[in-house]
Amino acid sequence: MRISKPSRVMLYSLLVLFACLTLLPFWSCVVTALKTSKEVVLTTPVTPPLHPTLAPLMESLSYLRRPLLNSLVLVGSGTVVSCFFGSILGYVFSKRKVRGSTLLFVLVILGLYIPPQVQLIPMVRVISKIGLHGDLGALVLLYMVFGIPMCTFIFKTLYDEIPDSFIRAAKVDGAGTWTIYRRIILPLSVIPFVVAALLQVTIIWNDFIWGLVLTTGIRNLPVTVAMANLKGSFVAEWNLQMGGALWIALPTLIIFVFLGKYIMRGYGAK
Amino acid sequence: MKPLKAVGLNPKTKEKIITTLIVLPPLMSIFFFFYGFSGWNFFISLTDWEGFLPTQNLVGFKNYLALFHDSLFWTSLQNNLLLILIFVPGVILIGLILAVLLDQKVRGEALFRTIYLLPFALSFVVTAALWAWMYSPRVGTINVLLEQLGLGFLKSGWITDPSIVMYCIIAALIWQFAGYSTIIFLAGIRSIPGSQIAAAKVDGASTFTLYTRIVLPQLKASFVTAFIIFMCFALKAFDFIWVLNRGGPGYSSHILGVSMYKETFGFDKFAYGAAYATIILVLSLVIVVPFLCRVYRRE
Repeated sequence: MRISKPSRVMLYSLLVLFACLTLLPFWSCVVTALKTSKEVVLTTPVTPPLHPTLAPLMESLSYLRRPLLNSLVLVGSGTVVSCFFGSILGYVFSKRKVRGSTLLFVLVILGLYIPPQVQLIPMVRVISKIGLHGDLGALVLLYMVFGIPMCTFIFKTLYDEIPDSFIRAAKVDGAGTWTIYRRIILPLSVIPFVVAALLQVTIIWNDFIWGLVLTTGIRNLPVTVAMANLKGSFVAEWNLQMGGALWIALPTLIIFVFLGKYIMRGYGAK
Repeated sequence: MKPLKAVGLNPKTKEKIITTLIVLPPLMSIFFFFYGFSGWNFFISLTDWEGFLPTQNLVGFKNYLALFHDSLFWTSLQNNLLLILIFVPGVILIGLILAVLLDQKVRGEALFRTIYLLPFALSFVVTAALWAWMYSPRVGTINVLLEQLGLGFLKSGWITDPSIVMYCIIAALIWQFAGYSTIIFLAGIRSIPGSQIAAAKVDGASTFTLYTRIVLPQLKASFVTAFIIFMCFALKAFDFIWVLNRGGPGYSSHILGVSMYKETFGFDKFAYGAAYATIILVLSLVIVVPFLCRVYRRE
């Protein structure tokens, strides 16, 4: 390396400085969530709690319990269905190309870039027509479709890496499209399924605007919308707010820390 | 599959029919949801539909004309442009800098990468709560830290001050996306063949020349990817601002997404909101369609 010693010191100082800036909001969130309301007032937002308490975390959990379950339902159903269809469409677009299939694929991908604002109003109309307005079921339906373009993109990209020679051999043996899918493609799909599933879990768990528009009543709210309400109702109680934020942040933080390698493949970086 | 056989179809045709039957339902739902709804939204924007009233009449482009005479629309557009002009270059620049720093054979690179990426894992609702606490004027983290560091004169009302609220929001969003941007550029740098870098080093290129002459010109694809992703985000952004302060104080941090939501679901002006949404869509398509055309033209 050509870099001299003083500049290495500079390099690490910069990296550590950026790391501290990144971690500062997390730090004040965690320490505040562990303080009593009184201690929040008496100490600064960065001093560690003198008498750590789990009370704010427990209180925010009891407020968010039902919404956390709702979000689990949404994540489960949405992830399974969109990964399933994503895998099938990804296979067809990658290994069963026909004329016009690239154009079709591009149209599917373009769906990723369409802002949700244009779908809000028609979706509200459809959902009230079928009598699901305000109901969690509306979101269940939505997330089953919503994630398909993203999953299709991931599966297609990763299936493109499977050599066509694998498939040609099976074709010679007389295997049809769906035999090839089950016998050859599916067994090689563990990583694509992990990548697509982690991505869907994160996206659905973190999503906000759809829950805000389509659901009402604590029994139906996803956790992000409940958190926004908590923030509005307990304006001055920072320890409760930070406790709630922590519960919602935890699952996705765990995914990013331990499985970051996989999820970032889904975001298009290897 | 017996019925098909009974009709006497050959296996190839049969397979085509099955494939179509499997592929059609998900494709149809996607197209209905993404394109059907976009078209329907445009149609609604041409009516005078309000709330859940059953009546609606076609009024042509009246909503769009009204939009162009609405000062809230221009405020939102202006704020949105500010967001784009600072957030997009800002997050790209910081990502590039961090990627170059991390590329210097850093010890603990994986740890730094993970830390930088943490904010990207969070829901906007969570980040809005975290930054509401950071920016809180009386007891919030930033003002308290400034005072402790003897920089009390820098204390400010932050998100309660209409003249700087947009900059506060932009700073928080850059914080959230910087790690993602870093990963995009790091992946770009790592995909440059090592032989080119080795050759430049043999020729005695300094680290600075190495990056400006060899690395940067080959990061074009990373720049384009990052630009598209962050532009599209900036156009449709809503969650963070809505949870942070509902576009306030007053209208000072309203952007297009916020005004669209407020007109539609706050004031029940559905057709008017649909016009907002159509404008957001058109701006997004202007950015994305040329990009997708270029990427997939070869295939």
